[in-house]
Amino acid sequence: MAQHTLEVIVENSPGVLARVAGLFSRRAYNIERLSVGPTDNPETSKMDIVVNLEGHALEQVIAQLDKLINVIAIKEIVPNSAVPIVHDTQPDYQN
Amino acid sequence: MSQMNGASSLVASLEAAGVDVMFGIPGGAILPAYDPIFSSSIRHILVRHEQGAGHAATGYAQVTGRVGVCIATSGPGATNLVTPLADAAMDSVPVVAITGQVPSVAIGTDAFQEADIRGITMPFAKHNYLITDPADIPRAIAEAFHIASTGRPGPVLVDIAKDALQKMTEFKYPASVSLKGYQPKLAPDAQSITDAADLIAQSSKPVFYVGGGVIKANASRELMELAQLLGAPVVTTLMARGAFPDSHPLNLGMPGMHGTVAAVTALQKSDLLITLGARFDDRVTGKLSSFAVHAKVIHADVDPAEIGKNRFADVAVLGDLKHTIAALIPAVKVALGKNRPDLTAWLRQMNSLKATYPLGYDVPKDGSLAPQYVIERLGKISGPQTIFAAGVGQHQMWASQFVSYENPRTWLNSGGLGTMGYAVPAAMGAKVGAPDTTVWAIDGDGCFQMTNQELTTCALNNIPIKVAIINNESLGMVRQWQTLFYEGRYSNTSLESKRIPNFPMLAEAMGCVGLSCDRPEDVDATIEKAMSINDQPVVVDFRVTRDAMVWPMVAAGASNDDILIARETAPDWDSQEL
Ligand SMILES: Cc1ncc(C[n+]2csc(CCOP(=O)(O)OP(=O)(O)O)c2C)c(N)n1
Ligand SMILES: [Mg+2]
Repeated sequence: MAQHTLEVIVENSPGVLARVAGLFSRRAYNIERLSVGPTDNPETSKMDIVVNLEGHALEQVIAQLDKLINVIAIKEIVPNSAVPIVHDTQPDYQN
Repeated sequence: MSQMNGASSLVASLEAAGVDVMFGIPGGAILPAYDPIFSSSIRHILVRHEQGAGHAATGYAQVTGRVGVCIATSGPGATNLVTPLADAAMDSVPVVAITGQVPSVAIGTDAFQEADIRGITMPFAKHNYLITDPADIPRAIAEAFHIASTGRPGPVLVDIAKDALQKMTEFKYPASVSLKGYQPKLAPDAQSITDAADLIAQSSKPVFYVGGGVIKANASRELMELAQLLGAPVVTTLMARGAFPDSHPLNLGMPGMHGTVAAVTALQKSDLLITLGARFDDRVTGKLSSFAVHAKVIHADVDPAEIGKNRFADVAVLGDLKHTIAALIPAVKVALGKNRPDLTAWLRQMNSLKATYPLGYDVPKDGSLAPQYVIERLGKISGPQTIFAAGVGQHQMWASQFVSYENPRTWLNSGGLGTMGYAVPAAMGAKVGAPDTTVWAIDGDGCFQMTNQELTTCALNNIPIKVAIINNESLGMVRQWQTLFYEGRYSNTSLESKRIPNFPMLAEAMGCVGLSCDRPEDVDATIEKAMSINDQPVVVDFRVTRDAMVWPMVAAGASNDDILIARETAPDWDSQEL
């Protein structure tokens, strides 16, 4: 199975790492690698999450991650490509 | 802007959020908040157990469509809320829970009554907060109500350290909430609507698979219009009973483990599931790989993670269901204008199943009371405006099967979590939300013993609910599985006695009227007696036969094709043209 790297921008609020890690554990997804670092914006952090998932399972992880209120954006880094896939499952609020 | 302490800011925030009632119990960490509650316009109902507060908030929310609110202290008060909050999460109910937490300096020290309730609720709460700075209280409350009530509704917990309640702060309630990571979609994409309409106009065996989301979105009227426009059969899941009237000729009833033969078969034989606010739960699909194998799927839901979770969606329609169905109506009109499949044969088949395999039950030969008969009479005598709240077990399934639900928000139950003890406190919350409506809890003798203490709350707070205990002196649903799958080895499912506890006396002790009934010929008079009492809660102990079973049944993990209408009895498929 191919590895996929998700670049997840999260709000820099307490408990965010627990929320993300807890989601993976609760839904029985494996994390291959996880690193957390700052971004230019002090209010956000960036998590790089490497998973060994494909297709439907990968889409589910992304959709569930995106449901976390503190998760702002998810990009999938495509190997050998400068252009990431932007997962925008929560488009603009429309009233 | 005005200066006040965090506690006053909390109560002012709750008032600003439009809260009119909350259910709770005070204690050390939350005590500062109870002082401004004392003089607030918000009605606080003092329950007897925090689990009761949580389910009451859920019952209130289910009936009114508003956010239900419960409040508890730190530690055990908060952990007692875990079950109802998990319940609200599984059934997508908008609930906000406020808990006190130990002072911020004590957090992490295993202080008296410290429990990490934010951590405990993280896996299932839609979101949660730990507030240690009083300045954050109004924003957290505003966000909590916004998150709980929009998108796919759910429970949000706000845990507030005691010192944050005590310190002075400035109260300023945010005029609006905007969250970068949370923007639920209201209107569906036009393309998805067109695609859905096109599939509908190609289908000769469509069925509306309607879930609780239709009720949450207040989309029953739109559903009626769409269903009549297409003329396709409708099935309503356990969470959707009442979303479409049972009396309507297109309604085939409930699908799933204890669904009707017609509803289960409609899904199995369909070529198109028009899925509206349902989530392909295992209790509906049975063995997933054999579920509706010939059907394409339109999946309309507000939660993107539900679409494609259990079953691939040929067309995904992401958005609020009221908007979605409203948009589907003209689109389907256009599509049917170009091509209108003939559904006559399909409808004839389904109506034949409906007529051949109606829900039924055996009348006990020894003259004892059939539980299904009691429930059927309750529905008939009490009428279609009545709100019913069920516990979990056989009585729950019969309450879903044998009451005719005509209106949304008249059927409350714990569908996803299956929480015994839900009925009495949920009925209490429902009655607070709809004081002029008759509210019946249909409860099991097992369930009733988990949360009946809230009848005291009802008696003291003028919340005259009615409770029908379906007393089969057993944990009947579990016993049924033992009958079917464990050779009748009834390990720990007998509650031993119809007399202990003495339910009418227990009811009287809690300030309710206690009645009992054990003969079929007395059922109507007993229900009418209960209906005539409106100034006090009433509890009726219906002493029924213990051997009744819930049918039809698809065994757990089995294929829906293997539905049984009675023990070892499958429908006579050969005589059906399918
Ligand atoms: C809190 C909780 N504990 C255990 C169960 C498992 N369970 C499901 S139904 C049931 C029996 C319920 O008995 P009763 O309330 O008498 O209802 P009946 O099935 O007899 O109608 C049990 C124990 C559950 N659903 N919830
Ligand atoms: Mg029982």
